[in-house]
Amino acid sequence: MFHWLEKNPFFFAVGVFVVIAYAGIVTVVPDFMESARPLKGVKPYTTLQLAGRQIYIENDCNACHSQLIRPFKSETDRYGKYSLSGEYAYDRPFLWGSRRIGPDLHRVGNYRTTDWNENHMLDPESVVPGSIMPKYGFMFDKSMDFDTAYAEAYTVKKVFNVPYDKPGMPKLGTYEEAKKAAIKEAGAIVADMKDQAVKDAYKKGDIKEIVAIIAYLNSLK
Amino acid sequence: MQSSNAINYDYTVAKYFTVATIVLGIVGMSVGVIIAFQLAFPELNNLAGEYGNFGRLRPLHTDAVAFGFTVSGIMATWYYIGQRVLKVSMAESKFLMFIGKLQFWLYIVTVAAVVVSLIMGITTSKEYAEFEWPIDIAIVVVWVLWGISIFGLIGIRREKVLYISIWYYIATFLGIAMLYLFNNMEVPTYFVAGVGKWYHSVSMYAGSNDAMVQWWYGHNAVAFAFTVPIIAMIYYFLPKESGQPVFSYKLSLLSFWGLMFVYLWAGGHHLLYSTVPDWVQTMGSIFSVVLILPSWGSAINMLLTMKGEWGQLKENPLVKFYVLASTFYMLSTLEGPIQAIKSVNALAHFTDWIPGHVHDGTLGWVGFMIIGALFHMAPRMFKKEIFSKKLIESQFWLQTTGIVLYFSSMWIAGITQGMMWRATDQYGNLTYSFIDTVEVLHPYWTLRAVGGLFYLIGVFMWAYNMYKTATSSRAIEKEPQYASPMA
Amino acid sequence: MDMELIRTLQGWGYVSMIFILTIGLYAYIYHLYKSQKSGIKDYEKYANLALNDEIDDCLVEGLYSQDEKKINRSVKNELAE
Ligand code: HEC
Ligand code: HEM
Repeated sequence: MFHWLEKNPFFFAVGVFVVIAYAGIVTVVPDFMESARPLKGVKPYTTLQLAGRQIYIENDCNACHSQLIRPFKSETDRYGKYSLSGEYAYDRPFLWGSRRIGPDLHRVGNYRTTDWNENHMLDPESVVPGSIMPKYGFMFDKSMDFDTAYAEAYTVKKVFNVPYDKPGMPKLGTYEEAKKAAIKEAGAIVADMKDQAVKDAYKKGDIKEIVAIIAYLNSLK
Repeated sequence: MQSSNAINYDYTVAKYFTVATIVLGIVGMSVGVIIAFQLAFPELNNLAGEYGNFGRLRPLHTDAVAFGFTVSGIMATWYYIGQRVLKVSMAESKFLMFIGKLQFWLYIVTVAAVVVSLIMGITTSKEYAEFEWPIDIAIVVVWVLWGISIFGLIGIRREKVLYISIWYYIATFLGIAMLYLFNNMEVPTYFVAGVGKWYHSVSMYAGSNDAMVQWWYGHNAVAFAFTVPIIAMIYYFLPKESGQPVFSYKLSLLSFWGLMFVYLWAGGHHLLYSTVPDWVQTMGSIFSVVLILPSWGSAINMLLTMKGEWGQLKENPLVKFYVLASTFYMLSTLEGPIQAIKSVNALAHFTDWIPGHVHDGTLGWVGFMIIGALFHMAPRMFKKEIFSKKLIESQFWLQTTGIVLYFSSMWIAGITQGMMWRATDQYGNLTYSFIDTVEVLHPYWTLRAVGGLFYLIGVFMWAYNMYKTATSSRAIEKEPQYASPMA
Repeated sequence: MDMELIRTLQGWGYVSMIFILTIGLYAYIYHLYKSQKSGIKDYEKYANLALNDEIDDCLVEGLYSQDEKKINRSVKNELAE
């Protein structure tokens, strides 16, 4: 049999493939079936939060920040309750990260406010001396992309049955309804901010990226 | 056999990919040096506004070195070794030549799209799988073309038996194909909702599932991109350059299967808590250890190949590259399992120790092997002597110093950081605020950046040497059988 | 299927994979050394695939006989002309 495999590259390749695939199936699939269930009380993101999440991804905040609190005392003391699998049920993609150049952010919404984040994103050093986090001043100028956020929410609702518009869950509705809701939600955050340019833009119906990312950070609890 | 004189190996595609390897190596590692300095000196984040900060550049670094430098290196060596050990020339098949060139140009277009999109922030955020769906499709096509090239060349071969390197290339091809497809399952949102950016997509998997697939991919992608094809290279270039047949060909066959199996096994050790009877689990563990043994055979095999020929290490700088590479391979295969131990992992995870570990593998093993391989190929492809032996020597020492600086500083940084995160005072309160643990790393981050800079300078020396070899070195009449000629 | 059962199947699937792979691997070791020793096949000569890899070097183990290949080549040459 071995002789034969050595001389038949095709069957050799098939053999390699079967072995790899079998191992993949055995090790991954069962975990898959187990961990797909959302924890009670976990809700999908609103479109504003989702837009913020997309900005988080666009700037690869996850290159420096994890979102996974491990069940060690030193971590729960620092960041809060350890993370549970069911909390991530609506995270597409997951943002656990692989590095902690900056602190974990899984529950940052519990201890950082809109106001703090506004100052910190503009100039981290001025809030935390010695910080090496980049400045994100451009988020105060750039408008957020509502359309793509809506498209994502709509897609996960349609394709993956994410429970938007179900009782007790965030409302998505039509494009116009969702846009109105996002503007309203942004208003509450803008009210807590002090940057005049962001406020002025908001009055004209233009939501800046900084508003969306703060909405997302505040939602991490 | 006068008719066979008419055929020569055709290195056109190998040359293309050689250029790509050098260029993308420079790009990827320059970005690596920049992000390394950004951590030490954060003002550097602001040089190019939104487009130049750490978050945008880090994926550019990892993808440019992995899918740029390394994959080009794999292709360049494949289009070289493949012909030679199968004893068939690309010139004999117009079709394969066309496929090879097509693959190259499509690859270049894809790489360009990757670079632009990552700087623009178009990313799915999953490490080594950041690309949005249009690029994913292009990558799949490039990969399929490579597959046609591999099996096409094998199909018209003269040599009946496939040399061990070919096995490793086949495994690389299959492994990456499967992993990449599974991990990049995504739904384009524009086509469902009709609004938003056309290239945006959302992952098929959510939360922990997504993490699991990504982890499975990440772990194995490292195996199939940074280990398997590099072993293919060393099995060819070390024996060929030194003129020594592989110490034991049988051992090389064994270690191939050993390695394939071990990577699969590594994915399953967390299963040991399942509902299977205890004795079965114990047997499973024992067998796992027995299975792991042959996988170290490759490195040992390489070192034994040089048995009695260690003098070459003094005379031939290329052999130096290969031998140091296999030493680093052993080092990182030793370090990996150590980090996988639960208590070690609790300390090391999320810290600088991880990039430290990654880079003694990538700089020492992947980088040195590719650099050494292309040096060996140059005189054969260009029919010229290597331009300067002295320059290779200095490059070797400069880069080795760079690697040592890199991993030693990262080990210290990682362990310091891990210890500080968990340190508590006598009342059980955390001793350090997070920013304390950042500030303490400054000297190590600086040292790492300097180490990386050394390595990068070495890459420039390599590029210069290769360029001079191709353009203005002395011509050679007859192809050398073993050691590469150098001035 | 309930999770318990899936887990059990998985455990068995995993353990049996390890068993089969290990047995396969060691059978292969046995096969290699046996064939070498009894002279059925000389594996070590394949190391020369890398060392003697000029296109007109002798084949280590040809796929066709040399003549056949020569014929193929001359046919090709004729076609090219
Ligand atoms: C170069 C790595 C780096 C990147 C990229 C980065 N950060 Fe940070 N971040 C840090 C560091 C270091 C700290 C700790 C010091 C400080 O608070 O400024 C931090 C702190 C924070 C904090 C405060 C957390 C706390 O517990 O005090 C928030 C919130 C935050 N970052 C959000 C972000 C967001 C949002 C992004 C992406 C737009 C981002 N960071 C990108 C390094 C980074
Ligand atoms: C010039 C030399 C290089 C320098 C200075 C450099 C620097 C860096 C830096 C600063 C990071 C980020 C680490 C962090 O998150 O803290 C990184 C990550 C990484 N680099 Fe490099 N790099 C170099 C060469 C290479 C090469 C040649 C390869 C591969 C062939 C490589 C592969 C990677 C990978 C895979 C990561 C991600 C590691 C992880 O996720 O933990 N690097 N590098």
